[in-house]
Amino acid sequence: MNPFSAPAFAVPSALEADRPPEERGVARDRVRLLLSTRTTDEDRNFSDLTDILQPGDLLVVNESATLPARLPARSRVGEYFLHLSTRYGPTLWVAEARWGAGTPGPLPLAVGDRIDTAGLSARWVAEFPGIPRLGFVEFDRDPFDAMAEFGRPIRYGYVPHDYPLDAYQTVFARVPGSAEMPSAARPFSETLVRSLRGRGVEFAALTLHAGVSSLEVGPDGGATDLLYPEPFRVPAATVEAVARARARGGRVIAVGTTVARALESASGSRGLHPAEGFTRLYISPERPPRIFDGLLTGFHTPTSSHLALLAAFAGAPMLERSYRAALERGYLWHEFGDSQLILRDRLPAGAF
Amino acid sequence: MRAPRSERKVALVTGASRGLGRTVAEFLTAEGYSVILTARGTSDLEGVGTNLSRSGADVHCVAGDVTDPRHRSQLAEHVRAAGRLDLLVNNASELGPTPLPELSTYPLDGLRRVFEANVVAPLALVQILLPWLERSRGRIVNISSDAALGGYPRWGGYGASKAALDLVSHTLGEELKVRGVSVVSVDPGDLRTAMHQAAFPGQDISDRPLPSVTVPFWAWLLEQDPALVTGHRFRAQADRWEIPA
Repeated sequence: MNPFSAPAFAVPSALEADRPPEERGVARDRVRLLLSTRTTDEDRNFSDLTDILQPGDLLVVNESATLPARLPARSRVGEYFLHLSTRYGPTLWVAEARWGAGTPGPLPLAVGDRIDTAGLSARWVAEFPGIPRLGFVEFDRDPFDAMAEFGRPIRYGYVPHDYPLDAYQTVFARVPGSAEMPSAARPFSETLVRSLRGRGVEFAALTLHAGVSSLEVGPDGGATDLLYPEPFRVPAATVEAVARARARGGRVIAVGTTVARALESASGSRGLHPAEGFTRLYISPERPPRIFDGLLTGFHTPTSSHLALLAAFAGAPMLERSYRAALERGYLWHEFGDSQLILRDRLPAGAF
Repeated sequence: MRAPRSERKVALVTGASRGLGRTVAEFLTAEGYSVILTARGTSDLEGVGTNLSRSGADVHCVAGDVTDPRHRSQLAEHVRAAGRLDLLVNNASELGPTPLPELSTYPLDGLRRVFEANVVAPLALVQILLPWLERSRGRIVNISSDAALGGYPRWGGYGASKAALDLVSHTLGEELKVRGVSVVSVDPGDLRTAMHQAAFPGQDISDRPLPSVTVPFWAWLLEQDPALVTGHRFRAQADRWEIPA
């Protein structure tokens, strides 16, 4: 079932990026960039952003840093991995229990089960409603130190080897909290950021700590539109930067679906406002995005809620056209893959 | 890794034998709280208590009606015995006569009972338990309803009582700030519960989610700084839970 009007397609395994671009001999900021507008899909390079973006444009980035969130775990069901997804409090997390990178659960864990993980003692305290793979885990102490010592970055079956945490950090990472890298910003290098600033492109930051993405493929291989809440914070400085960009006629470009979701979560009847909390806002054609004019992002799997967001932003025909182009022209998918910049026609003056 | 009893947080949950109250009680015990549970239905309540005790939780079931002052005193006695109170969840609610009557013909005795259960009793529990809540810089959660805002035909009696409870929560939140006690109002959203079924007799309500859908919200709320959320109203099934600016 496809709950949104977005293209249905299969990603051939040859187009699944199975390692960081640096391991394929491509510099971070030299991945391919598909520039999609209402009329065309142009093959460009990520470093061309210095030409594509104009003075006065604003790039909104996610400051969330990736955690080594995969911990080895053991309980009465055997040995497995705990992927820490979302921190609710110092010792309370939502986590996914998996047998391995390519072998998901759900595991037969029961409420009350004791879990030994990375030198910590924990309990599976509640199932996550509607998402059997996830549950609440209460630790005997804050697991941050244990993650630093025993944790590895979360990876899935299409990435066969572990890479160091650095491979999973963006140049904007300041606030640890994401279970998975907010990967749209991965191709930015310090040099590219400097060039863009030099050209008059502005940057503003917010935080959305991304949880695990695994559950976005349902047990039947179909889409699940279950989004679970993730912590976000849109500071006043970013709200002001968006207003300034609008006032000078610049474009507001969301770097990644996490940024798009945080911006839209901080928008209400009084427009964009500083906000902090948890969001599971589902952006779809029924609730289209209002805050940004451009979206810089990777290529997403057919059943993901990210793709619903893209369809809501670009419109299904444009998205379908550009995804067909990406597949035909061999663009690479997933967190280590290539990029797409979708530029929508300007929002009318007076829109927030 | 469970804390010894004296160090464990203690929560009192009303209307805990079924539906939302039961879900909250289960989540709290899993989180390590000792719980004092009350509801009118003795056997349902004992069933919940037995289940929770079997999983190792510290549970005290006290059957009774929260509109009865003697029952409230009895609850306060249990709090005294527990030695502390960190959380009061005023969840027990009276739906009123069913099928829900329009206000123009609403039986006034029935309306008084609705207000007695949904406004007076929660406030009475706050009054009697406040010294304990103050000592632990505790939290009060009053369960509200979308009907408090809606103006939905035939929900006027129940809705008016919940609107009154919302104002009680909001005002208490302001009044108790200086005493370090946090008060929030929570609209759990439509749920597949016995109360909801009573409001829609004979109708299929299986499209409503089970009360467990609110578990992530409780996990979130209880981890927030009580001082930052006090006086505010939250919707457990909303797509955003914002910390008030």
